[in-house]
Amino acid sequence: MRYDSITEAIGNTPLVRIDPAVHGLRNIDLYAKLEMLNPFGSVKDRPAWHMARPHLEAAADGDGTVVELSSGNTAKALALLAGMHGARFKSVTNRMRVPEIKELLLLLGAEIEELPGRSECLDPTDTDDPLTHFHRALSDPGSTYLHTDQYFNPRNVEAHAEGTGPEIVKDLDGRVPDWFVACVGTAGSSTGVARVLREHDPRVRVLGLVAHKSDFIPGIRTIDEVHQVGLFDPATYDTIESVTSDEAIDGMITLIRRCGMLSGPTGGAAYQGAVRQLRYADAELDGTGQRRTAVFIVCDRAESYLSYVRQRRPQLLGRTGRGHSASAVTNAEARAEARVIDVDDARRWSAEGDPRPLVVDLRSPHAYAALHIEGSVNIVDEVFEDLLRGGLPFSKRTPVLLACPVGEKSLRYAAVLSRMGHPDVRSLAGGIVAWRDAGAPLVRE
Amino acid sequence: MDVPLYLRPRVDPPLASLLTDRPFLHSLVDALGSPLNVLLPEAVAENAARFRAVYRRHHLTGRAYFAHKANRSSALLRRLAAEDPATVGVDVASTEELRHALGCGFTGDRIMATGPKDAAFLWLAARVGATVNLDSPGELERLSGLVRAHGLGRVAVLVRLSGFEHATGHGGAGTRLLSRRSRFGTPVRDSEALLSALERNADAVEFVGAAYHMDTTGVEEKARALEQCVLFMDECRARGLAPRALDIGGGFGVGYVAEAEEWERWTTALTEAVLGVRPPLTWRGHGYGLRNEGGTVRGAAALYPAYRPTAGPGYLDELLSLPAPVLGRPPATLLLEHLHDLYIEPGRSLVDQCGLSLARVLDVRPADMDAGQYLVRLAMNAGDMSLEEHGVLVDPVLLPRGEAASGDGEPVGVYLTGNLCLEGDLLTRRLVFLPRLPRAGDLLAFANTAGYAMDFHAHHAQRQPVARTVAVERRDDSWRWCPDEDYWPITPLGGAIG
Ligand SMILES: Cc1ncc(COP(=O)(O)O)c(C=O)c1O
Repeated sequence: MRYDSITEAIGNTPLVRIDPAVHGLRNIDLYAKLEMLNPFGSVKDRPAWHMARPHLEAAADGDGTVVELSSGNTAKALALLAGMHGARFKSVTNRMRVPEIKELLLLLGAEIEELPGRSECLDPTDTDDPLTHFHRALSDPGSTYLHTDQYFNPRNVEAHAEGTGPEIVKDLDGRVPDWFVACVGTAGSSTGVARVLREHDPRVRVLGLVAHKSDFIPGIRTIDEVHQVGLFDPATYDTIESVTSDEAIDGMITLIRRCGMLSGPTGGAAYQGAVRQLRYADAELDGTGQRRTAVFIVCDRAESYLSYVRQRRPQLLGRTGRGHSASAVTNAEARAEARVIDVDDARRWSAEGDPRPLVVDLRSPHAYAALHIEGSVNIVDEVFEDLLRGGLPFSKRTPVLLACPVGEKSLRYAAVLSRMGHPDVRSLAGGIVAWRDAGAPLVRE
Repeated sequence: MDVPLYLRPRVDPPLASLLTDRPFLHSLVDALGSPLNVLLPEAVAENAARFRAVYRRHHLTGRAYFAHKANRSSALLRRLAAEDPATVGVDVASTEELRHALGCGFTGDRIMATGPKDAAFLWLAARVGATVNLDSPGELERLSGLVRAHGLGRVAVLVRLSGFEHATGHGGAGTRLLSRRSRFGTPVRDSEALLSALERNADAVEFVGAAYHMDTTGVEEKARALEQCVLFMDECRARGLAPRALDIGGGFGVGYVAEAEEWERWTTALTEAVLGVRPPLTWRGHGYGLRNEGGTVRGAAALYPAYRPTAGPGYLDELLSLPAPVLGRPPATLLLEHLHDLYIEPGRSLVDQCGLSLARVLDVRPADMDAGQYLVRLAMNAGDMSLEEHGVLVDPVLLPRGEAASGDGEPVGVYLTGNLCLEGDLLTRRLVFLPRLPRAGDLLAFANTAGYAMDFHAHHAQRQPVARTVAVERRDDSWRWCPDEDYWPITPLGGAIG
């Protein structure tokens, strides 16, 4: 495989069979279309290139800005494609709720505009939603934006009708699967693939998966939200079902841990939704001797969703404790084991102690810079926590006075340092707040 | 008929128990007329305690200033005045609200003056030692002029900031969080003028801190604003000023509908109705801002998110716990580490569960025989109970007059119409489902109307009576009541004095 441009590497993704021991379906072969193996990492590489190509080639002078309403994968692909062609990319969205994706986009040079939340005090005269404003700005005659318009652009569907769909048929030796399962975001992949499959064999059944209404699965829409998508036509789907973020994560874990497929949540949702739906059909096939085939799409990869998983299923990312840690100390233990010192005694100690204590301020550098105890050093709590894992960071001959805002965190750390064998560490009772309230001096840098 | 699409209200005790006492509520309306507003002053104190608990959890100090605009009642204000002065204050947005707050027992040092202010309002606020939440450098100059001209003491001031999305330098490169433009406050990018005005007028005003109030349900936007205010206050300190409080306004929200599923079913049905794939749910197919463009739904539903898993104190807790975009630490930690007090101005959320509005059923007649829909005319109009005007969709509770249990009869879809001779006087534009058809003489109770809904738009049009308001309290086994204006939080209602 030798290419002149990365865009040639888009498409021709593998179709991989899921081991029946994993899904438990006895009469159905289930295949994953691994769109995550596209060069920019997702199913969106195809439509992004297909939609942007005419724009980018027309604006060859390279001072245009491609804009898209995208919270992730389309933005990622477009940012890279724009960059290759000397254009800029701007993503407008109110759904960018996964920090890694945002940071990745920034790394790719994208500009991100997040739409405002909804109004709390309803203004009945305000009938304009932010999206309407956005579209108006784009259609402004003076605008230099190249809008790919993925929710309405037929080229989005076309990219899949020309690529994804035919590839599936080819890899199934010219046959059409009995079921095709896809998550619905822009409806581009499901619509394009379904169209091609139906043309080959109208008996194919298409299952569209949306997010459960009160839930959030990055990249796909809820049943109400799909109605705002221009490419969405309910007739495309034989069935529309919803999946929860819990199911998406379950599916994702199965694909990752048991199938070696590093899928993101929507791939997990498609897998889980497919198996849930196919179980009934599978039971009906028992004893008939017939075999059926189903294909689902793995849209993208897991790496960008770690904080999504951390938020919903923290135990999957559990860090096992190593070394000393303040979080391992209970409040009762901290109270029992740590020494405290009140503001008056602390003032005297830090002025007259022999040796004088090292005063450690555990607040953020920013707060420290604004106001702190003269002569104190700043080691922000997160860093301090890491230091302790490595061992005692101070000489046992140096007394230490720990200070935090109200004396709660410092108490824990004082307890940990005592456990680690430091003979004279004390926590400032009431913290910097008490210090200030007692009228003791605070300085700024 | 489809399954009834209920949007049943969230009612907690003691409001829930009040709603079960039908004879009491009927006797109130018999005596005082329909419409009638009923308030539970104890519930407002309970809410203040919940906000306080969030402060405690985050080790924060500072006050919750009740946004008086949410309800004009005396009982609520007097009950709040009896709370701990260190933790409860009142936010007033007009001279009359200020006078009322003083008359209800708030001393000047517990009062925050917000909103657009004329000279009389500024003078009275300065005179009684209220904190003035300044909207602009112009207002600062006017206030300082008054202080000097009338020989008043230095006035504590906060500066209200806005336009956080345009603040440069601190925001993460490449991301811009758009926010709705606000008419209020001074844009952060103009804060230099504000700072020099504060310094120039230091003889007349004492700079206490920064403030914002944003009209959004988005916690991220607020966390960003909060962080930018902390950075702003830092700049102020660098210039020798000594701000110590950050006021983050109100807008913590209320959950009106009890069940998420009911809310989800209804809003999905609205989308489907707009697309024409199911019969309309609203009077003449009103779409609440949604429209059908070639089979695709466009626009945004102008609806309050009536089912909210986190609202009020829970929303504050969430906001305080979110990582801030620039400095990375949660807002609570930022405030604590920078030694700032937190001020909040909850309106709607502080009077959550504090009241209801009652209306008598005057007349019931068929609207659409085929669909089994009825028009129910109430002795109340859309001005007396403006949940709908605020985009809040929630069902009333039917309180039958007689012995009939509310369970008998079939669910029925009704349109609630008002007592004005106007086509537009609908109490709801949506088909409301009730567990059975009401009869003339029954009451409908609109729960949770104390925030902006019970008298915000009340008027004397057509000489219809405007609702009276009473305060109620549970004593032993029964409910007691008194007129709102007679409530004082020192003697039991209807009990012996002294
Ligand atoms: C300055 C200010 N503070 C507080 C509030 C109260 O907000 P809420 O009732 O949503 O809590 C408002 C309402 O508009 C306001 O303008």
